[in-house]
Amino acid sequence: MCLKLDAILFEAAQPVPFLLGWEAQRSLQQRLLLDPEGPEAVLLLEHEACYTLGRGASEAFLRFDPAAPPLPLHRIDRGGEVTHHAPGQLVLYPVLNLQRHGADLHLYMRQLEQVVIDLLAGLDLQGERIAGLTGVWLEGRKVAAIGVGARRWISQHGLALNVDGDLAGFAAVVPCGLADHPVGRLADWRPELTSEGLRQPLLAALADRFGLALRPPKPQERLQGW
Amino acid sequence: MATHEIFMPALSSTMTEGKIVEWLKKPGDKVERGESVLVVESDKADMDVESFNEGFLAAVLMPAGGTAPVGETIGLIVETEAEIAEAAAKAPAAPAAAAAPAPAPAAAAPVAAPPAPVAAPPTPAPAPVVAAPVVAPASTASGRVVASPRAKKLASQLGVDLGGLRGSGPHGRIQADDVLAATGQPITVPRVAEGSGPAAVAAAGGNGAAPAAPAPAGEAFGRPGESVSFNTLQGAVNRNMLASLAVPCFRVGYTITTTKLDAFYKQVKPKGVTMTALLAKAVGVVLARHPQVNAATSADGSAMSFPAAVNVAVAVAMEDGGLITPVLANADKTDIYSMARNWADLVSRARSKQLQPEEYSTGTFTLSNLGMFGVDRFDAILPPGTGAILAVAASRPTVVAGKDGSMRVANQMQVNLTCDHRTIYGAHAAAFLKDLAQLIETNPESLAL
Repeated sequence: MCLKLDAILFEAAQPVPFLLGWEAQRSLQQRLLLDPEGPEAVLLLEHEACYTLGRGASEAFLRFDPAAPPLPLHRIDRGGEVTHHAPGQLVLYPVLNLQRHGADLHLYMRQLEQVVIDLLAGLDLQGERIAGLTGVWLEGRKVAAIGVGARRWISQHGLALNVDGDLAGFAAVVPCGLADHPVGRLADWRPELTSEGLRQPLLAALADRFGLALRPPKPQERLQGW
Repeated sequence: MATHEIFMPALSSTMTEGKIVEWLKKPGDKVERGESVLVVESDKADMDVESFNEGFLAAVLMPAGGTAPVGETIGLIVETEAEIAEAAAKAPAAPAAAAAPAPAPAAAAPVAAPPAPVAAPPTPAPAPVVAAPVVAPASTASGRVVASPRAKKLASQLGVDLGGLRGSGPHGRIQADDVLAATGQPITVPRVAEGSGPAAVAAAGGNGAAPAAPAPAGEAFGRPGESVSFNTLQGAVNRNMLASLAVPCFRVGYTITTTKLDAFYKQVKPKGVTMTALLAKAVGVVLARHPQVNAATSADGSAMSFPAAVNVAVAVAMEDGGLITPVLANADKTDIYSMARNWADLVSRARSKQLQPEEYSTGTFTLSNLGMFGVDRFDAILPPGTGAILAVAASRPTVVAGKDGSMRVANQMQVNLTCDHRTIYGAHAAAFLKDLAQLIETNPESLAL
């Protein structure tokens, strides 16, 4: 018998400024660092339009002056190159103690990809991996970007899945530093899909893959600003 | 004075090398225990690497942008500000970030050398094994000689010129064993330290095709008809063993499948990791979750004392009689690469009788391994001041029946936990063994971090 792991779900109904979401992840990560046996957490949200750069990311992949970006630009503590967030893109930040999930960052990223592949299979779409390129692809277009960070095996960051948002913002950068790999969104295959409607199926796929029992926060577990 | 090495961690079981994205500390900076020192990246995953020790970052051996193999030393932490300059001077110059990563030195730590199968005596006495040949050049391009503090001390005592030596340590650092090897002294590795592999002794004994070698004589401290006084160490062991008669002990056994552990050991063995380090780490990690099994009855019998750290002692028989229990401190938090190095150092100093008391008397739990002799089960006597000792027997291929009636062959070993019933009850011991078995059977890769 496999018991489900206790995990708190924080969900934001309205688009969230990037820094607020990052702040929330870091305080959840800090909680687990202080109490590694405590409950894990998952943030589900959409971001206000912005760009983020991974820690080692090259500014050569920006098609604008980093001193005068067209949208807020943040350099953050995850792996990977530049990416773009905007409403219509579902963002999932699992804050997990990866010691409970195999203590293997590569395995963790493959599992995050599998969450999206499982979700797409439910929509009769066949998501694919491309060896060496983390993310999930649909007919050669990248629909989900993945980048993770960890401290003492407590994860932060996660995956961003383009559902029905405007992709124009991607034109100002070379997403993930891959010039010849276009970005796609699910609504181009299934026009009836909305980010709102896909929230529950995405959470279900995540909970299933990682064996989580998602629940709302108890009063003492609430995050400031949420 | 102590220098602690920071190693390239394994972010995943398939990772062979990692890229340093950023050093969060500069040489000379103060570092708290548990504070992030650098960030390592592999694919699209970042991991903060923390210092296990409080002190100062003395040297960065691989700058940001550089790539290093898993387990390679990438930085040095010293305990006091005064040691920074010395450690930095001893450290090899960091290669340029753009340079191709240097291949890891192929020489395994001496303790990883396989024990000679036929020379094995039938008692748990260490058999001499000559160290593997060393390969890495000792001095750096700048001509500086890089040697461990102990190697330097030994060299001056023995009159060895360090400049003429080749080091077997990280970046070609000269270790104490290299100095000993240079003087022609065979470096001996206690067989007791090594692993739960199937017994080579038994296999050799049953092989009729082998050339008829004289049966090795069992070790004895005296000749027939003699009476020989116990030496100081034997006397000390006697007192400790007698003290255990005042402790209400009981024993609990468990059979652990080691097929996955054996496979993982094969992977990390080239990086110098020994079975002793793996077992001590596994026990340490599980003890951290079972503080009751790490606890002991206080000397006056009035209380249970819960130690602040998980320190795993490992019993090592001495050639001239008696045994000693060098301690792998913080076994739950120390990575297996450091642990294997610490163990090799402890053992070599135990043999030259240079251990400090805190290095053999601060164990909170003891491991005793007779697996290398093919022993299939035994139990151990509880050392005073601790609550439990684990006896580890040989891992051997065994026919295993599944619940569904299927049969398969798996490597299995028996372990036997001796506990002080005043502090540890049967359910505590059983829960500890169950967790240990689960870790070893399902997730030995997690020991890499």
